[in-house]
Amino acid sequence: MRAQRGALETEHQPDGGDDFSLFLSLDRNLPICFLLDRLRLAMLRLPGVALSAITCLDSWPPSPTPRRKKEVKKETGLGLTHRKDENFDFFGVEIEKMNIKNAYFPLFVTENVLQKEKDHIEGFAPEVAWVTKSGHSELEVPIAIRPTSETAMYPYFSKWISGHRDLPLKLNQWCNVVRWEFSHPTPFIRSREFLWQEGHTAFATQAEADQEVLQILELYLKIYEEFLAVPVVKGRKSELEKFAGGYYTTSVEAFIPNTGRGIQGVTSHCLGQNFSKMFEINFENEKGEKSMVWQNSWAYSSRAILSGVMVMLHGDDKGLILPPKVAAVLVVVIPVPYKDADSDAIFNTCSSTIQRLRESELRAEADLRDNYSPGWKYSHWEMKGVPLRIEIGPKDLANNQVRVVRCDNGAKTDIPTGYLVDQVKEILISIQECLFNAAKQKRDACKKVVNTWDEFVLAMNEKKMILAP
Amino acid sequence: MAMAAVRLPSLSLLRYPSKSLLSCPLSLAPRLRHLRPRASAHISGGGASRCISARSLAKEEVSSSATPSTDRKPSSSYEGSVTPRSVDFNAWYLDVIASAELADYGPVRGTMVIRPYGYAIWEAIQEYLNVKFKETGHSNMYFPQFIPYSFIEKEASHVEGFSPELALVTIGGGKELEEKLVVRPTSETIVNHMFTQWIQSYRDLPLMVNQWANVTRWEMRTKPFVRTLEFLWQEGHTAHATAEEAETEALQMIDVYKKFAYEQAAIPVIAGRKSRAETFAGAARTYTIEAMMGDRKALQAGTSHNLGQNFSRAFGTQFTDENGQRQHVWQTSWAVSTRFVGGIIMTHGDDAGLMLPPRIAPIQVVIVPIWKTANDKSGVIDAVSSLKDLLLKAGIKVKVDDSEQRTPGWKFNFWEMKGVPLRIEIGPRDVANKSVVVSRRDIPGKPGKDFGISMEPSVLVAHLKSRLDDIQASLLHRAISFRDSNIVDVNSYEELKAVIAQGKWARGPWSASDSEEQKVKEETGATIRCFPFEQPLGKMTCFMTAIQALLQKYWSECCRFWEGIN
Repeated sequence: MRAQRGALETEHQPDGGDDFSLFLSLDRNLPICFLLDRLRLAMLRLPGVALSAITCLDSWPPSPTPRRKKEVKKETGLGLTHRKDENFDFFGVEIEKMNIKNAYFPLFVTENVLQKEKDHIEGFAPEVAWVTKSGHSELEVPIAIRPTSETAMYPYFSKWISGHRDLPLKLNQWCNVVRWEFSHPTPFIRSREFLWQEGHTAFATQAEADQEVLQILELYLKIYEEFLAVPVVKGRKSELEKFAGGYYTTSVEAFIPNTGRGIQGVTSHCLGQNFSKMFEINFENEKGEKSMVWQNSWAYSSRAILSGVMVMLHGDDKGLILPPKVAAVLVVVIPVPYKDADSDAIFNTCSSTIQRLRESELRAEADLRDNYSPGWKYSHWEMKGVPLRIEIGPKDLANNQVRVVRCDNGAKTDIPTGYLVDQVKEILISIQECLFNAAKQKRDACKKVVNTWDEFVLAMNEKKMILAP
Repeated sequence: MAMAAVRLPSLSLLRYPSKSLLSCPLSLAPRLRHLRPRASAHISGGGASRCISARSLAKEEVSSSATPSTDRKPSSSYEGSVTPRSVDFNAWYLDVIASAELADYGPVRGTMVIRPYGYAIWEAIQEYLNVKFKETGHSNMYFPQFIPYSFIEKEASHVEGFSPELALVTIGGGKELEEKLVVRPTSETIVNHMFTQWIQSYRDLPLMVNQWANVTRWEMRTKPFVRTLEFLWQEGHTAHATAEEAETEALQMIDVYKKFAYEQAAIPVIAGRKSRAETFAGAARTYTIEAMMGDRKALQAGTSHNLGQNFSRAFGTQFTDENGQRQHVWQTSWAVSTRFVGGIIMTHGDDAGLMLPPRIAPIQVVIVPIWKTANDKSGVIDAVSSLKDLLLKAGIKVKVDDSEQRTPGWKFNFWEMKGVPLRIEIGPRDVANKSVVVSRRDIPGKPGKDFGISMEPSVLVAHLKSRLDDIQASLLHRAISFRDSNIVDVNSYEELKAVIAQGKWARGPWSASDSEEQKVKEETGATIRCFPFEQPLGKMTCFMTAIQALLQKYWSECCRFWEGIN
């Protein structure tokens, strides 16, 4: 099983953009599939438009294991439930607090709207996919599939905004976008579509726009650090790397210690008044004067989030597990029947244990299959990244206890049945913390401050993360 | 409260000059007059038009205009009234969509921008169904939007049904593609492609997944929410080891939809099976929920298909059963789309505009403060803000409209038009008396008002909650009696013709052939909506064929609904 991790070592450098092809080399049994639904619940608002966005067909057929039992629905505040609560729908809830509304704009964009902003289209033109036929007939004018929605949305901003009372206008949408990237040619349908959230806002003043850019960036940081347990750095992009047509770009960036590579996390852009000029998004201010709005756009995609996951996966050679806050299965219960033992009693205890965990809002699964050995099951579930395993054998039955194994460090504890739920919760919280701390330590060890070019080059060669003036 | 005089914002006047004089509902005639000619003018004018009911636009592929033009209705802002529903249903529908800011037209003809208020209704649908899907054992995932054309061709009837509506991508990244890609119209083919790889043995079954996605069907006659070129939906796909399991699943999901329609959307749908002619392209059986709109047209609000082994045979989706034999899986698929939002609008609206069932309303209670002097204002605003906090804590979706540009009367009309179920009015006297006035959207005038409701938190919250429940129940009740009064039992073809001519639905025994179904469709414009699950007891004779022997064979399902298309 461990050998599969070799597949994670990707051959190419993620160049600036969040790089999707990274996942093409993923082994099909890696835990990504398990993560997807959790991530969605944690962060994506649109139910179901999951991070399963990973649309590369052949790269990760996840052999999905549909959950057949009822999902637990109460909240714990632990982020351990399936219901839409503050933990699960973290980002959705936060932007709702900021009074940002969800909407949906069309997938199709006409050519002339797309080309309205010159810099913008230069950045995206080579990556656009075009619909040229409908049914059996040719379209008179080809229609583009959105690579991003600035050009789809801003004509409406222009239409909907007339006075200062219409501001701020703050919209967000969860959708799919298509970018036809040829840097890593892959067979037909792979990878060129991904899911994301894109926020587009318009303000009367720059100060308001500036403030929101940072507010959103902070939320993105929390997604990485508090949910994915990946330490990131906030920063501002250079002129070269900023968003096409934007004013300035901020981002959170993660770092892969093993390879010394940076991975762009997610970005929050201030577009300034560039787009409002092109799309004539004007408003009449209190004094009756015409002015142009200040705009922001910010997005995180399934690609970016999974890049973050990659960081996490790269983090260590053993204890490859999913952070409890995003794991689809928190606890797996495995019966360990011996010859001569009362296997019925063991199986019953497994079932009742599952029952209790689920009643306490912990996502638990039992693996009661009789055609696999306990050892096979251990590694099977470990490979899926489940953070906690409970083993129940004859001895445990006799002592009225269960054996709990932490899959991040292999630590084993016997827990009396009476304290099961409380202790399991404690351990899960501790795992979440440990994962983040370990990742942070590792990252900090690679951090290097340089002041000269020579030092910079040297540090680069050592695969360090560099802070330079 | 009389309808307030409307102070129009200057820009709005500039943009919609033709509407500016129409704030009074009585001045309908000029408005309708200008609507019609405008539509036809556009047809001759070509590119810029997107008048959605104009059938003659069918051949026009793409609009050439860059920005959404301002003369189309759904972009307009509310100016005091909508076309009364009783006068012109279609104009009313478009007015409501525009005035309530539910949607706007997209730049490509036939597409739609779903604005926050409309999207929030869709989100309410999602939240309910997503929980139900998980409870019934389904997992969410996401399949690619682009499907290689060769996949679509694999299932013969599927390609036949969908090929006229396919949007094809032929250029990507500046190059001609080797194989054209279809922008998904539905995902059965790509799902089967993946299922074939994921399913090996009976242990992998049942495989039950769902996705929330956008789909594209190149429709020529479009209508916001009801029929658009791109729409949002949920599509469930399952694979089972036996035919019985698949049938149970298909029935289970149509039942989930039916419950949603009744309990949340207050739409009394009729669940049943589609006739063979109306069955989904590639399915063995299609189950449907059919809803009656306010204009007595039928709306197919959700479908669940038993796909049999059609797709698994086409894609070789096989599993090894317990005896080591290779078998094809049995499949289902089921979907509900943003069309449901259109169904909600058209079921519950009235002359004044939208009327939303409390359980799916984005705003359940709107608070309108009323004051005359600055002295009064501070007291009223304080009371309003503490009231708002109270309701939020109680889990009631509340909105305060304290803008100073509009009169209270204008606000009353506006929020009624937006379909908010309850309105709270608070004036200085109410503050002094520590009480409020609560008005129901579904009952106009005094009978719908509760005066002097105490501001005491427990009293007020309990009152509002019970009123919301009342409204939910009354909307459903009203829709049921409307539906039942418009369904007529028929026993002969002549009766059927008469009922359809009145624009009503007909129900009657039927066991005739597909060609006779087609004949009825051509002669009367009526289509079979479904064979309802609920069948009357006793024996009946098919009114078309009157063949007793045949009838007995089809006994349990010889009852069909007809709908008039006028």
